[in-house]
Amino acid sequence: MSKQLFVTILVGLGIAFSGTAYLNAAEEISPRTIIDEYCVRCHNNQLKTGNLVLEDIETEDMVKNAEVWEKIVKKLHTGAMPPMGVPRPDESTYKGFIEAIELNLDQGFAKNPNPGRTLIHRLNRVEYANVIRDLLDLSIDGTALLPADNQGYGFDNIADVLTVSPGLLERYLLAAKKISRLAVGDPTIRPEITTYNVPYLTLVQDDRISDDLPFGSRGGISVQHYFPVDGKYEINIRMQRHSLNIGNEIRGLDVVNKIDLRLDGERLKVFEFGGDREYDDDPYTEQEDIADHILNFEFQVKAGMHHVGVAFDRDMWYVEGVGMATLPPASDGYASGVKTEQNYGRINMGVDHIEVVGPFNGTAPQNSASRERIFICEPQNASEETPCAQKILSTLANRAYRRPVTETEIQALMSFYATGREDGDFNVGIRQGLVRLLMDPDFLFRIERDPTSIQPGQPYLISDLELASRLSFFLWSSIPDIQLLEIATQGKLQEPAIFENEVRRMLADKRSNALLNNFFGQWLLVRNMAAHRPDPLSFPEFDENLRQAFQRETELFLQSQLKEDRHVTEILNADYTFVNERLARHYGIPNIYGNHFRKVMLPNNQRAGLLGQGSVLAVTSYADRTSVVLRGKWVMENLLGVPPPPPPADVPPLENVEVKGSLRQRMEMHRKNPVCAACHSQLDPMGFAFENFDGIGKWREIDGGTAVDASGALLDGSTFTNPATFREALVHKSDAFMGSLTEKLLTYALGRGVEYYDMPAVRQIIRDTQSAGNQWSALILNIVKSMPFQMRRVES
Amino acid sequence: MIITKKHIPRRTILRGIGVSLALPLLDSMVPAFTALRTTAAATPIRRFGAIYVGMGMNMNIWAQPNIEKGLDLNPILYPMKAFKDRLLVLSGLDSNEASGIDGGQHPRMQTSWLTGARAKRTEGTDIRAGTSLDQIVARKFENETQLASLELAIESTDLLGTCSLGYSCAYNNTISWRTPTTPLPMENNPKNVFERLFGSSDSTDPKVRLREIKTDHSVLDSVTEKIASFQRGLGSRDRTRVEEYVDAIRDVERRIQMAEEQVGRELPVVERPMGIPATYEEHVKLMFDLQMLAFQTDLTRVFGFLMGREASVRSYPEIGVPDSHHPLSHHQNNPEKLARQAKLNTFQMQQLAYFVEKLQATPDGDGSMLDHTMLLYGSGMSDSNLHLPKNLPTVLVSGKGFHIKGNRHVNCPAGTPMANLQMTMLEKLGLPVENFGDSNGNLNLLTGI
Repeated sequence: MSKQLFVTILVGLGIAFSGTAYLNAAEEISPRTIIDEYCVRCHNNQLKTGNLVLEDIETEDMVKNAEVWEKIVKKLHTGAMPPMGVPRPDESTYKGFIEAIELNLDQGFAKNPNPGRTLIHRLNRVEYANVIRDLLDLSIDGTALLPADNQGYGFDNIADVLTVSPGLLERYLLAAKKISRLAVGDPTIRPEITTYNVPYLTLVQDDRISDDLPFGSRGGISVQHYFPVDGKYEINIRMQRHSLNIGNEIRGLDVVNKIDLRLDGERLKVFEFGGDREYDDDPYTEQEDIADHILNFEFQVKAGMHHVGVAFDRDMWYVEGVGMATLPPASDGYASGVKTEQNYGRINMGVDHIEVVGPFNGTAPQNSASRERIFICEPQNASEETPCAQKILSTLANRAYRRPVTETEIQALMSFYATGREDGDFNVGIRQGLVRLLMDPDFLFRIERDPTSIQPGQPYLISDLELASRLSFFLWSSIPDIQLLEIATQGKLQEPAIFENEVRRMLADKRSNALLNNFFGQWLLVRNMAAHRPDPLSFPEFDENLRQAFQRETELFLQSQLKEDRHVTEILNADYTFVNERLARHYGIPNIYGNHFRKVMLPNNQRAGLLGQGSVLAVTSYADRTSVVLRGKWVMENLLGVPPPPPPADVPPLENVEVKGSLRQRMEMHRKNPVCAACHSQLDPMGFAFENFDGIGKWREIDGGTAVDASGALLDGSTFTNPATFREALVHKSDAFMGSLTEKLLTYALGRGVEYYDMPAVRQIIRDTQSAGNQWSALILNIVKSMPFQMRRVES
Repeated sequence: MIITKKHIPRRTILRGIGVSLALPLLDSMVPAFTALRTTAAATPIRRFGAIYVGMGMNMNIWAQPNIEKGLDLNPILYPMKAFKDRLLVLSGLDSNEASGIDGGQHPRMQTSWLTGARAKRTEGTDIRAGTSLDQIVARKFENETQLASLELAIESTDLLGTCSLGYSCAYNNTISWRTPTTPLPMENNPKNVFERLFGSSDSTDPKVRLREIKTDHSVLDSVTEKIASFQRGLGSRDRTRVEEYVDAIRDVERRIQMAEEQVGRELPVVERPMGIPATYEEHVKLMFDLQMLAFQTDLTRVFGFLMGREASVRSYPEIGVPDSHHPLSHHQNNPEKLARQAKLNTFQMQQLAYFVEKLQATPDGDGSMLDHTMLLYGSGMSDSNLHLPKNLPTVLVSGKGFHIKGNRHVNCPAGTPMANLQMTMLEKLGLPVENFGDSNGNLNLLTGI
């Protein structure tokens, strides 16, 4: 491609430099003058403050020191420099200065654009499971099949760190064999036990816990289980014990319970269980260790995904007058995991886990969803077998490799089909071909190849097929669907109207929910909620129901923001959220009943947006208390895009003074030490904004016997007095937030770290998004239209 | 491997699935597999394990005078009393490669502990440290076993936000580095460890296993063939990733080949764990049980075990330590926090004692499994309040076969690199090297005994 043509394409994509977006003021500002007046007093050859010297820095052609300048610009966007107490230019000069630097840099970069280069990209395990779902219509648990992936830049889809080890390869091999068996349906598959656990004692089972369980029920478990073949299966229901360590007695056995077992909503069986004991304080017998071993039920089921539900009949009349019907869940649920002697009080019987066991007497499935996807032809006689196998395997490979498959590749798959056919039957042949396909490097890796015609170091537009994969892995964490693949194969994907149309279609598709857990979950750290363990003694009211509610709330909230295509900063201060009864009780929202989540307007300005959600507030706390440091760091790193300076190596021990009072008082004591103050004077003030929320996000006015003081200051010195004014200040300074969000989203979209040479593209994305109204769709569209997303650079 | 209700909770065991799974293997009844088989090499089998516990110890309790004539067991070490003769406690060892002032002490300490190398500060590209001790040993022993090594952990390795500023999470997730640029993922699910040892089929029938093995072999052959014509249009760094893939395939192929040869071997029938036990203690013990099984069947002779990682926020309410480990370790010399830290240190030491006891109880060749096993246990940090990578709390458990005199406290001259110990250990394992990490000599206190 000639340089001329290249520039033409850039213009066509709208990714060429455009200077008109800047204020004219930028042209009149002399960076040199401002630097000499405001910066050099610290950043000079003698002091070298922060290891930065600006005394002799070149200000004409800034791109020569682009890496330094980009850091300066980022800092300036947060308003952190010059530090408080040192003179700073007026607001318009300040803004103009930033714009002048950006303008200079953008012009410099435009002469020699660098779209960067992403390495070979291994599927991570989330993507792997999604691909299996989309390719074979089979739902698998990736976490059970594959090891966790490493993260870089805060995400687990970063090509550089998605390494390959022998251990991983072995897991791929195991996974390929298991998946092939499940998808094709192997009647000789050995019976297996799949266990679904209810979090031990910490999920309170006094209310209906899932929309999939019957009304009027309480507790139990609701799961989707994949039955690999037609056949007999057994479900074993096991009850919670009093304690992990002390005894093994089933709890709540003195009351008759009706246990309702359902498959796809149809009742299979009602067990009547318990009620044999006469008195509460009877000594337990050994029988009571094993009484639930009769809660087994065998049934015939067809292959495929089915819903299994187990719940108790919420029939409380029997216990009335006998004793406390239930422990108050708000006070004892989580703590009971620590202390649950049998005479602790009456605790309802609860399900500990269920086991799905089988298949027994399995027969080859005729019409499971996976088989319908895979077997697009069925041979009627021997001579039809080979052509049909070829059709099946090449169709699968086209999608699995995300491009038209070659003759050699089909032959490789067919040789495995042939061996399998010889050993067994047509099904076994297809299964073996599928094992080979799932181990293919073109399946396991996303590979972009440089055209031989482009010189080293030169940028080029990636191919339509490569672009299709970039899109689908960004928006869906999975492979392109048939429509996207066809458009790319026909070479039409880069036509702007078609491209935009496809992106909008993909965003509307439910597969784009992948963004919630994978992008937002990692960016905001809320994915950590799944593993977060608040200390049961400090937060006795925390239970699994609340954990699940936190996760669900954030998920539904972000989903509504995306689907309704709201202004991106609204996630910081939206006046609504989603709650069920448990969560509403925690937040102090009245008149919400039942387990169902619903949208509610927030009753006051204590909470708004993400910063008031339990998930965010809990994962930025320690197990037993809040942390202004973690919360301040979370704001700096994730919302403002300026990670705080690293802690020094040898932190001196604090003077051994007795520290009492609120966390604020203790932190202020801490900051009296100048060594600590250097960093914590930045970190802590923003962390204090959340002090009205305890370690699990409950509103509080008192901490350590003192009234909570949630006032503080942002990096530029602008102050706030409570969570509400803090949110306002953040939204007001939305430049830094937009920059941080765009960088994070671009990092996730590209699967590589965003470098200084990407910053002109980042600014272009922000400008174009702003002029389009700052909605989510605009941001995402501008990301996928950007130079780093559309192009790549040949290695020099 | 003792499978009793006490050690492996009900829910982790595969039960009553209508196929005959024989009785659990009782380790006191079955000697190590290696004792039964006639080895090609006449040299005794050696085994090695490295066990890491994060965030240092209570140094007020740990630090003790140099008592050459016998080991005065501090309360943290007390659980190891029965194995005093095989115990060496070392002080004065420093991890120089963990020092520095740019933050990130946690990842650097965890990384340098077993590599003697500095974790390169990076969040993504170019993670780099050094080949770890277990992997150097694994490369030497791997030709005789199906698996070069096992990498085990307790905490899941997919948490976010626990990685230190500027340092990739890769450094917090492992102690095992196959090469300076390839950290090995550590497995925390016992079920997956079991599958790694014994494959996906529950059957121990050699015919079934052989068929499985042959399929694996041909799949990998076919993939290797494709890779040959694969390099078109790739940059040099892409090719490195492809080579990594090819290396992994070779490694797995080698194992498969060995499994093919050894398929007639009688494997003990063991029930497959279903998942992760509920408590720390049960989990650690189950991992040690599996490691024991791997030793007994000679599937591998080397392991690395991340029993507690740096910057872990796990709490241990079951032993009266409800605080997150990380904030607890910033104890500010608060006596109550120090006491709880010691409690945790001791609790973890008890787990080590459990494993050593098993090793000792298992016959192997002319003695016990312990006689031919060397274990390194410790942390890359000493005083957790100061985040010091100096005077690291270090325990060496070495079987009689290594001719290292136990029951000693070895006080190394201040500033001795930890890597000197590792270099000496390699020598004792019969694998002498010129240097290891930042070593500057042998630890002559270990030699000549």
